[in-house]
Amino acid sequence: MRSLLGVAALLIVGLALSLIVSEYTLRLLNLAVVAAVAVVGLNFAFGYAGLISLGHAAFVGLGAYVLAILTTKLGWSPWLAAVPAVIGTGLAAAVLGYPLLRLKGHYLALATLGLNVSFGIVATNWIDLTGGTNGIANIPGLTIAGHELSGERPFLWFGLAVLAALALIAAVIHRSRYGRAMMAVRDDETAAAMTGINVTRMRVAAFTLSALYAAVAGCLFATHIHFISPDDFSYAHSITHLAMLIVGGEATIAGAILGAVLLTFLPEWLRVLGDAYLAFFGLMTLAILIFLPTGIVGLATRWVRRPAPPQADAAIGAEEASRP
Amino acid sequence: MSILRAEGISKRFGGLLALSDIDIRVEEGEFVALIGPNGAGKSTLLNVLTGLTPPTAGHIALDGRDITHASTHARVRAGLGRTFQRGRLFGRLSVIENVMTGVANRPGRSGRELRELARAQLARMGLERFAEHAIGSLSYGNSRMVELTRALACEPRVLLLDEPAAGLNSGEVEDLMTRLRAISTERRLAIVLIEHNMGMVMRLAQRIVVLNFGSRIAEGTPAAVQADPAVLAAYLGEGFSHAGL
Repeated sequence: MRSLLGVAALLIVGLALSLIVSEYTLRLLNLAVVAAVAVVGLNFAFGYAGLISLGHAAFVGLGAYVLAILTTKLGWSPWLAAVPAVIGTGLAAAVLGYPLLRLKGHYLALATLGLNVSFGIVATNWIDLTGGTNGIANIPGLTIAGHELSGERPFLWFGLAVLAALALIAAVIHRSRYGRAMMAVRDDETAAAMTGINVTRMRVAAFTLSALYAAVAGCLFATHIHFISPDDFSYAHSITHLAMLIVGGEATIAGAILGAVLLTFLPEWLRVLGDAYLAFFGLMTLAILIFLPTGIVGLATRWVRRPAPPQADAAIGAEEASRP
Repeated sequence: MSILRAEGISKRFGGLLALSDIDIRVEEGEFVALIGPNGAGKSTLLNVLTGLTPPTAGHIALDGRDITHASTHARVRAGLGRTFQRGRLFGRLSVIENVMTGVANRPGRSGRELRELARAQLARMGLERFAEHAIGSLSYGNSRMVELTRALACEPRVLLLDEPAAGLNSGEVEDLMTRLRAISTERRLAIVLIEHNMGMVMRLAQRIVVLNFGSRIAEGTPAAVQADPAVLAAYLGEGFSHAGL
């Protein structure tokens, strides 16, 4: 129920904004929505299963490149190309996940960082396929019933619908036995195994889910900008994704979306700072890690539910009814 | 046929022989205590039985099926349960969600059924009112009981308990003993108990296995073990006598 309300709020705010803001702000909102899709995905791996991934942008890139290559070289419709782009990226994550996810903590962070750097090297040097540093241009946009989603506003509406649907799916998974198993694995791997949870499989599942969302974000990005190059998916973007999730509030879907929007707009709002922005951003992230370890969403829930008495059973019954 | 049988279990950590050629068998519904001084290898034996530590040598069979090389989660699904010496609950899940992770082991249960079954398990342990509580808000005694409930929710046939009474007050220990005895008879559940509380061991166990320096030095009924000179020398101390017997 709460997630339905959250998604309704997201759609209403997004729709209202789309009617009043400038074309330039619309473009930023679109980038924020694309980032939000990726970060809601990263939340499966990092927020729920506790896997520190610094290679999320590589999966965004893989989805974007598959779509770009199929549409520009083979003339596929972007709708059709999105299917192998998303499924292929998910498969790649599952195959890479089995050896990679034997690593933990810092080692996993380094390995995924290496993965992201490797992706960049391949995308830069496999010139026949990827166009190298020149990238791939003229990627066709999406069309719905003959209407091309050419303007920023229609694309934003579409992007919001995709984000809303994916956020709802994420909420359902979060509350399911699989969501609980992922969080159990993060909290205590040994105890999770001792409750019959297949730890490796849950890790790979979380990693694969996060890559599927990343690939959708990549497809949105490619069809929105119509041009991609290796720089769009460098490891710096992976770090930004992680920062978005931590600033917004890890392990919450609302936090993932809020963080993505905030960190997309912050550089614009703070343009007056010039190069000092990075210093400000670093200090802000540090302050959030120290004073708000549960992110902006954590702060909000602390304000809303300050005196929380033990809930009556009526509320629990209502919540149960909405369970899958 | 024994529900759990381990034969010739040895475990070597570098130069240290933590377990040396241990045989242990547990019958269906039987209450076995594993005692011995600290460092005797009791927890290591539990880790080997549950697949957290691979043995250097030996075989383990659960209900006649060889599980020596099975993964931990597969052993749990085959009927092996365990609680840990230091409570290990999932801190980001509520009490009932912790229990639901155990209930979810049996396939084909809907989300609603999982919640109802978990609630029933909590009710049976007298913990229903804590169902929606956060783990961090539980008292130490209650968190140990929730961990036991979670292990029982996996519907084990053999339950391994690593010092379940450590840190509990005497009232809580009595409560724990009453529940363990009831569960064991009710479900024909075999229980292997590691415990330093000799009062509890002597009153609950049908059979006691004594380990010292990784070797089994005695095995038998509480009365026989208490009278064994080797056990008195290694662990219980000269002149040990338990009033409850």
